Amino acid sequence: MIKEVNDKNFDEEIGNSDNIVVVDFWAPWCGPCRMLSPVIEELAKEMGTEVKFAKVNVDESPMISSKYRIASIPTVMVFSKDTVKETMVGFRPKADIKKIIQRNL
Amino acid sequence: MGERYDIAIIGTGPAGLEAAINSKIRNKNIILFGSKELSRKLVKAPKVNNFLGFYNLTGKELKNHFAAHIEAMGIGIVNERINNVYAMGDYFALMVNEKIYEAKSIILATGIEYTKPLKGEEKLLGKGVGYCATCDAPLYKGKTVVVVGYNNEAEEETNFVSELCGKTYYIPMYKGDYKLNSNVEIISHKPIEIVGEDRVTKLILDHGEIITDGIFMLRDSLSPSQLVPGLNIEQDHIKVDRNMQSNIEGCFAAGDCTGKPYQYMKAAGEGLVAALSAVSYLDLTKK
Ligand SMILES: Cc1cc2nc3c(=O)[nH]c(=O)nc-3n(C[C@H](O)[C@H](O)[C@H](O)COP(=O)(O)OP(=O)(O)OC[C@H]3O[C@@H](n4cnc5c(N)ncnc54)[C@H](O)[C@@H]3O)c2cc1C
Repeated sequence: MIKEVNDKNFDEEIGNSDNIVVVDFWAPWCGPCRMLSPVIEELAKEMGTEVKFAKVNVDESPMISSKYRIASIPTVMVFSKDTVKETMVGFRPKADIKKIIQRNL
Repeated sequence: MGERYDIAIIGTGPAGLEAAINSKIRNKNIILFGSKELSRKLVKAPKVNNFLGFYNLTGKELKNHFAAHIEAMGIGIVNERINNVYAMGDYFALMVNEKIYEAKSIILATGIEYTKPLKGEEKLLGKGVGYCATCDAPLYKGKTVVVVGYNNEAEEETNFVSELCGKTYYIPMYKGDYKLNSNVEIISHKPIEIVGEDRVTKLILDHGEIITDGIFMLRDSLSPSQLVPGLNIEQDHIKVDRNMQSNIEGCFAAGDCTGKPYQYMKAAGEGLVAALSAVSYLDLTKK
């Protein structure tokens, strides 16, 4: 349900989506990222029909990470086409993320 | 990962202790984090005359009464500092370094000992300012980074940073022997302000400045919003309602961390309310 996206297919997957896209920037060595991923998975289960969910491993996708100036992970961004609508830095509780996604629907 | 507790209480001042005894009376499975000396503020008080039922006691004497009370009720203290609390949805994950405790609800009774953020720090959080050097260091490959360290533990993280980043500066906020890699430059001036528009550009010191891409603030006492990401803060205190409920469901707060006045009785009273609210929350979620 959560699409793995990288430097090569980012623009295509995010820019061409009719739905808004929630992108989780993460890395395997980051503790808070490991805590956030089950939260994002739950949201994907709940909202997966209206919203597309994607994740970017910043280790493997340095170009996209620097294009969107990721300076701290986890960072979650909400995209509509190629525009960044929201940026959330650090772990956030599920209810917060949900609220922020919903106001972009 | 062990059992999931009903209530995890963070802090062993009067707020946390009163929360613990009331949760215990209500038969909840609790875990209490703090220290054996209970609270440094308690031990330090020369004379206490406004604690009902005890007149003219020293803080130490009051502390001994508190200690005897929780011992008589079979409440133990886990002598560990919680680094982070993550609201996972239907439970909370409490991190102590690599260890994780789980609880259905939490009561924050951490007092207010944390150092205030630097000017510009909150504005630039995530835009060059970070609190987890091990998380974010790889994003600064080849760039300049400043680590502001408040204790020895920060030295190890600084060495890790210096192996991945470009130039690494270390600003120790304590005295001691610094065990740092030779490529780390130690700066002995105090940081005053973090400057930048949409990205950190420099750190202003009481004497001079450093042009830098990133700044890691590694403090020993965390502000509540760093301890529990997503927590609402109002005027430096945790925002709670009359039931001591924060903006995060299942997360309650009591004592100095919720606001003034800073007093034992107020702290204890709030701890009581927080415990009862946590008990109602647990009863509701069980159904
Ligand atoms: C010198 C002095 C004299 C005072 N005299 C009086 C007086 O006469 N009357 C009066 O009413 N009040 C007095 N006060 C104020 C009183 O001490 C405080 O209001 C009271 O201690 C607040 O209680 P608390 O439970 O909120 O927090 P605290 O007593 O500050 O306890 C917080 C506890 O939480 C622990 N903690 C914090 N973060 C973590 C973490 N992440 N993990 C684990 N543990 C953590 C701390 O180590 C500490 O043990 C005095 C204070 C001082 C300093």
